[in-house]
Amino acid sequence: MRANFIFSEVWIGLRRNLTMTIAVIVTVAVGMALLGVGLMINSQVSKLTGFWSDKVELSVYLCTKGSPFEPCKNRGAVTQEEKGNLEQTIKALPDVERVQFENQAQAFKNFQSTESNTLLLSVTKPEDMPESFRVKLKDPEKADAVESSLKGQPGVSNVVNERNLLQSVFGFMDTLRNVALGIAILMVIAATLLIGNTVRLSAYNRRRETGIMRLVGASNIYIQLPFVLEGLIAGLIGGVLSGVILIIVKVFIFESIQTYMAAPLGWDTVAGVITGTMAIGVLICVLASFVTLRRYLRV
Amino acid sequence: MIHFDNVTKVYANQNRPALDHVSVDVDKGEFVFLVGPSGSGKSTFLRLVLKEERPNSGSIHVAGKDLSKLSNFKVPHLRRRIGCVFQDFRLLPNKNVYENVAFALEVIGKPRRFIRKVVPEVIELVGLEGKAHRMPEELSGGEQQRVAMARAFVNRPMILLADEPTGNIDPATSIGIMKVLDRINRTGTTVLMATHDAAIVDSMRKRVVELEDGKIVRDQSRGVYGQAY
Repeated sequence: MRANFIFSEVWIGLRRNLTMTIAVIVTVAVGMALLGVGLMINSQVSKLTGFWSDKVELSVYLCTKGSPFEPCKNRGAVTQEEKGNLEQTIKALPDVERVQFENQAQAFKNFQSTESNTLLLSVTKPEDMPESFRVKLKDPEKADAVESSLKGQPGVSNVVNERNLLQSVFGFMDTLRNVALGIAILMVIAATLLIGNTVRLSAYNRRRETGIMRLVGASNIYIQLPFVLEGLIAGLIGGVLSGVILIIVKVFIFESIQTYMAAPLGWDTVAGVITGTMAIGVLICVLASFVTLRRYLRV
Repeated sequence: MIHFDNVTKVYANQNRPALDHVSVDVDKGEFVFLVGPSGSGKSTFLRLVLKEERPNSGSIHVAGKDLSKLSNFKVPHLRRRIGCVFQDFRLLPNKNVYENVAFALEVIGKPRRFIRKVVPEVIELVGLEGKAHRMPEELSGGEQQRVAMARAFVNRPMILLADEPTGNIDPATSIGIMKVLDRINRTGTTVLMATHDAAIVDSMRKRVVELEDGKIVRDQSRGVYGQAY
């Protein structure tokens, strides 16, 4: 094997099909970047799920005076006795770990610290805030059962599972991930076909050389290697570009939403994703070149 | 060196066999003309020797190897022992004479030192000394065919196959080509040449194998092309 001879062949091949090579590189870069983004969203979601699942609580809101909720109509605010009964009922439930009472003053304070609408802030008084029990469950999966057993108890206006609020955020991220992965799969298919075409063109362009190589008894590996290496180099460049795109995505998108995401995505995850997508990109390119070669370069 | 035993070759989608029960023996160091009209099976014969095609029946031995038992993996090694020359020269237009000849050695992984030594020798053998750095387009047809012969012979093959090597060359230049082939034959290389060129066959007085419709109709030592043509 003469390495410099093979590499000069590879270089000639890449240069002759420059536009096709660029098409392959771009497709691989975009496809692998989308695949990587999908994987990053995936690991972000699972990190968040883990982080939030030991923090979520059920909020059991109690009736205030003039509360618009159905169970509170035709009755006044919750009474002291009802509160006492409720607390006993909640504590008696087997899935409840602990329960905490939040009065109107505390609720107003939380509201003030999280609400950004100044108009709403200025018109809201502590009396408007509902009192609530904050119920921490032993197993967050049991929330539905607890929720239904507490709904309809006297003095309860509404039961909110915080997990359901998070679920809509997770659902949105799941959709994002699925879209990214879906486009990534299309890009991978496009890349495979493009590489097939490039190799075919390349084989056609060099049919004189390969014909002579066959005649003088060059081994199959020697004849095929330049074509496979072309695919490999295109895949590698595409993979490096996708790595760059993924780093940009991490720095400019994931970092900027990190303030809302209690569990940040670490660089180790990003490095793993980049390595994985690059490996997949190169593998696809090499396989696609190899398969098309078998069809267009009969030895 | 080349042994065909009852070989039949039928191409797909064709009723008439290209070669029909052909048996022939070519010994080491022989010079054999393969003559016959177009479509008589000369090229098929050469392709079978190279294992570019497989016979439908019969057995072929080349250089002591039974081709039916030769795995695809080993076909390149067979081809290294066979040199080929064609009517259309098949040179690489973007490489000069030296590079065209050296290409045959580069692609079978010969060391550069060896290439530097043998390529000038073989260029001299075919009578192109001083033209090593010319491009193919700067050469006449006869000179291009000499380059092709140098490339076919540079690996010192046991067999040289020539498929109408003088087909694109005027008679005066053809004589020079035949002299080179004769010189190659004298080094002990078996030469098998398919041709239409009656004048050349008649002047060389070598063994002549005539094919017609895929059958051997004549096998004559020191023969001529034949009265019919």
